Amino acid sequence: MVTCVSSESSESAVQAFVDAANKRFAGTGTESFLEHHTGGHHKRPFARLHIPPRHLLAVMKWMKFDQNIDHCSMITGIHWPEGGDKKCWEVVYHLLRTPIRNPPQVTKTHCAPMRIQIDALAPEQTPLEIEVVVILPPGDPKVDSVQQLWIGADWNEKETWDLVGIEFQGHKNMHRVLLPNDSPKGYHPLQKQHKLRYHEFNEMYDDPQGFGRKTIDADRIK
Amino acid sequence: MAEMWITMGPQHPMTHGLWTLRVKVDGEVVTDTEPELGYIHRGVEKISESRDFTQITPYCDRLCYASAMTWAQSYIYAAEDLLEVEVPERAEYIRLIAVEMQRIASHLMWLGAYCPDVGNLTVFVYCLRDRELFLDLLQELGGSRMHYNFPRIGGVKRDLPIGFAQRARAKINIFIDRMKEYEQMLDESTIFLVRTQDVGYTKPEEMIQWGVTGPNIRAGGVDYDIRTAHPYSVYDELDWEPAVESPSIKGADCYDRYRVRMEEMRQSCAMILEALDRLPGGTDTHHEPYDPMILSKAPSRAPEGSSGFHRFEDSRGESLFHIVGGGEGRGKMPYRMSIRSPMFITIPYVAKVMIGHKVADIPAIMGSFDPCIGETDR
Repeated sequence: MVTCVSSESSESAVQAFVDAANKRFAGTGTESFLEHHTGGHHKRPFARLHIPPRHLLAVMKWMKFDQNIDHCSMITGIHWPEGGDKKCWEVVYHLLRTPIRNPPQVTKTHCAPMRIQIDALAPEQTPLEIEVVVILPPGDPKVDSVQQLWIGADWNEKETWDLVGIEFQGHKNMHRVLLPNDSPKGYHPLQKQHKLRYHEFNEMYDDPQGFGRKTIDADRIK
Repeated sequence: MAEMWITMGPQHPMTHGLWTLRVKVDGEVVTDTEPELGYIHRGVEKISESRDFTQITPYCDRLCYASAMTWAQSYIYAAEDLLEVEVPERAEYIRLIAVEMQRIASHLMWLGAYCPDVGNLTVFVYCLRDRELFLDLLQELGGSRMHYNFPRIGGVKRDLPIGFAQRARAKINIFIDRMKEYEQMLDESTIFLVRTQDVGYTKPEEMIQWGVTGPNIRAGGVDYDIRTAHPYSVYDELDWEPAVESPSIKGADCYDRYRVRMEEMRQSCAMILEALDRLPGGTDTHHEPYDPMILSKAPSRAPEGSSGFHRFEDSRGESLFHIVGGGEGRGKMPYRMSIRSPMFITIPYVAKVMIGHKVADIPAIMGSFDPCIGETDR
């Protein structure tokens, strides 16, 4: 049988992390919860944090340097145009704690493969899934960059700016990655005002080939 | 000597897809690099916002043309997390068998594409021959050779066909023997060793800081696998061990990355054989489609404000889908779906690894990380 992280140990690791976060950032508006995945074979626990944008960098630094969160998996943005004043933009960070260390040297030239006793790690080393949610007010979405903490966040932030239009303050060398470099300024296709061609259900049947549609610059072309 | 920029790609044998690597060279030595992506950006994330949860699976199949099954399943697990669906155990075993077969086929495709890069064309032909064994098996499950549309939210489309287990066991036993042939051909080929050993060193701690995961990090001697660290499916019920390489003190080189994938194919073979033995209900029974043994009922709508995500060990690293419910059609479609592609994060790192190497080493280093541009550009 393969050794896996048991759900008890990851439960206690998540609980320890959530308690530490709630204690350290009490009064700043930062809230952390223990949540469980809801589908599939295993209902694994993970930590979910709600952080006000102005405390984001402080909490992230604490996670990286005190809590050993060494891997930034994904950064993504969500646009809620109908969310009103409370929730117009949402930035979601998926972070991971991994027990990855460089393996020890055994001979002059080679390292031993490091077999981690993955079910017997200390709570501060146990693999941990974290979801960080930052909610931004309407207007131009701006949030502090975490590029300086995880290098892996660099291209994630580039992609999120490129597609969703979240501006990461302090990010160095921001440029388009998936869209062409000469895309119009302010054009971020995953914002909700941009519709797909056949977005409306009826439109698909009334005009399936799209012949009735006019391009944006139709009146300017002679 | 004056430095100059060379553009490799978008059509270049090194790229393994459609992208550009701009390389700054000083004579023969690479001094700086800049990857340019986005040539085949299809906007899958945007398209998904106007498709219901069932219709998205084929789009996720097409995220990676070499590893369609793993990407479809990666999406399915996240959708199940969002829709709160329980999966029958038999379906989980069938999925595991399908994913591991796809992992072998994907690694064979990688080996087949990598060997011509480093001057060994023979293995390419051998690999594609043996990939057919697994594509035929996957075709029995999904009905097509590359894009299967096999998993469903709550289970799988079809049960294993009659006689599938027998054919799978026979083919895997053939394949395990043939892997010895590959190792003889590659480990005793001077050209292959010269091109891959001592080239492209990477350290595990550096890789995780950059966000590199999967076989590339296990080649650095670290026993870290999503399947054991965050177990999903029924991986924790089988007897296997993540493939880990013993690297040199400078880190993992291209040869270690080749070794770890060979070892991973062996582990996948063992997993499939064991899963076939342990399949609940046995391999002789066959359930019709929509039978509750292989497909449980799933809601078609997700309420607004709900979200789900799932980490999945893809054949190239950690893939992650984050799906927010409550989109068009009163929640029938996702409001937002975002995809973490392992290669999108890895390619900028690989571009930095090759600094200091000769121009001739670029294909060897790039190929050893198994780039796939379909998932990178999405």
